[in-house]
Amino acid sequence: MSQDLRRDFQDRQDLIDYVAEIFPQTANFEPFVADTRGGRRAAEQLFENIDPKKYGATRNNISGAVTYLSPYIRHGVVTLREVRDLALRRADQRKDAAKFIMELAWREYWQRLYETLGGGVWDDIEEYKTGFPPDSYDEELPVNIKRGTTGLACIDAFSRELRRTGYLHNHARMWLASYVVHWRKVQWQAGAEWFLEHLLDGDPASNNLSWQWVASTFSNKPYFFNRENLERHTEGLYCRQCLHYGSCPFEGRYEDLSQKLFQIQ
Amino acid sequence: MNTIIWVHEDCLHPTGPAYMAYPESPSIFVFDDAGPVMSLKRYVFIYECLLELPVVIRKGDAVQEILGFARRHSADRIVTIATPSPRLKRIQQKLAQSIQLEVLAYDPFLEFTGTVRLERFSQFWRTVEPYAMLEEPRSEGDQEVAIPGSNTNDAAAGS
Repeated sequence: MSQDLRRDFQDRQDLIDYVAEIFPQTANFEPFVADTRGGRRAAEQLFENIDPKKYGATRNNISGAVTYLSPYIRHGVVTLREVRDLALRRADQRKDAAKFIMELAWREYWQRLYETLGGGVWDDIEEYKTGFPPDSYDEELPVNIKRGTTGLACIDAFSRELRRTGYLHNHARMWLASYVVHWRKVQWQAGAEWFLEHLLDGDPASNNLSWQWVASTFSNKPYFFNRENLERHTEGLYCRQCLHYGSCPFEGRYEDLSQKLFQIQ
Repeated sequence: MNTIIWVHEDCLHPTGPAYMAYPESPSIFVFDDAGPVMSLKRYVFIYECLLELPVVIRKGDAVQEILGFARRHSADRIVTIATPSPRLKRIQQKLAQSIQLEVLAYDPFLEFTGTVRLERFSQFWRTVEPYAMLEEPRSEGDQEVAIPGSNTNDAAAGS
């Protein structure tokens, strides 16, 4: 029988050292710890970030008015209901909160599906709509994606941010997932597992089903993007410093990229 | 009846339903040996959440640890919070073979008890939107259809 784990720590570093010691398997990962603190008090400080109207207008931008509440929602430290109620109170008109609340509803939707699917969230729900059979996708995530050494400034930055902070903006998750599945032809499961190792809000339902949405095993079409889209929503942050600017794999019109990436008639 | 609370990682709310219903009952959280593989930052985040709860923290086989905790407190009932996680449900099932288990609902997002189609988010949203927005439910003809991903400017291939 084990002993009670410690509850008293001198400071955060003391806690971090202790957690690393009692979970030796964490040595398989880089020893990064997020600035984001766990707990209800930290979550309540983020309540001031709830600005539903601004969120609706800017949420697709990397610098948009997101709340960073997702890790607390994932672990039930705050509830969807209380976040929704706060958003409605802060909206001048109910419709100003519609986009924000719709995103909360996505979480509810994924949870309800999880109740139905259980461990089935790890299986392809539908076939890929990319024109490729499932076995044409690699099972392993390429090392240069895991390490952030692809040479693509955006992808490498997303990989680094994921591993260092345990957080990625939703749009960055979609771009990275799309790159993994459609450009590198890797099974979505490999990417989903990688995300779950690192994301503070990692939840098998929201995570895996979103990966399936990108992959097209739980959507009508594969999700992909082009450089122009990424550059616009990141205000050029990555493209400006990228050695492959103008000739990166994301360059081109959607029609042309679709031809390159998929075997769709 | 002596009751203990089993806190799991899907409900780390300091005033969650179990703590509200049984404020005097001792509680336990177990980092389950069969839990998922995670990097250090995820463990630290969860641990920090736990430090704000009046909970005994253990590590090991979840079922054994929880039942051992119940025995030490002469408990004949375990209370926990509902979860969709299949791993946590399996633990619930094993506990229920040995002791009375009460599973409380987590603060529901929607005051909606009807059936809803889950094939696509658009169907789900069409049904639940008025409940999510705390509006009066509207007639079918008034409802907008939200298409997943339509809120970005990105493309999706095919048709």
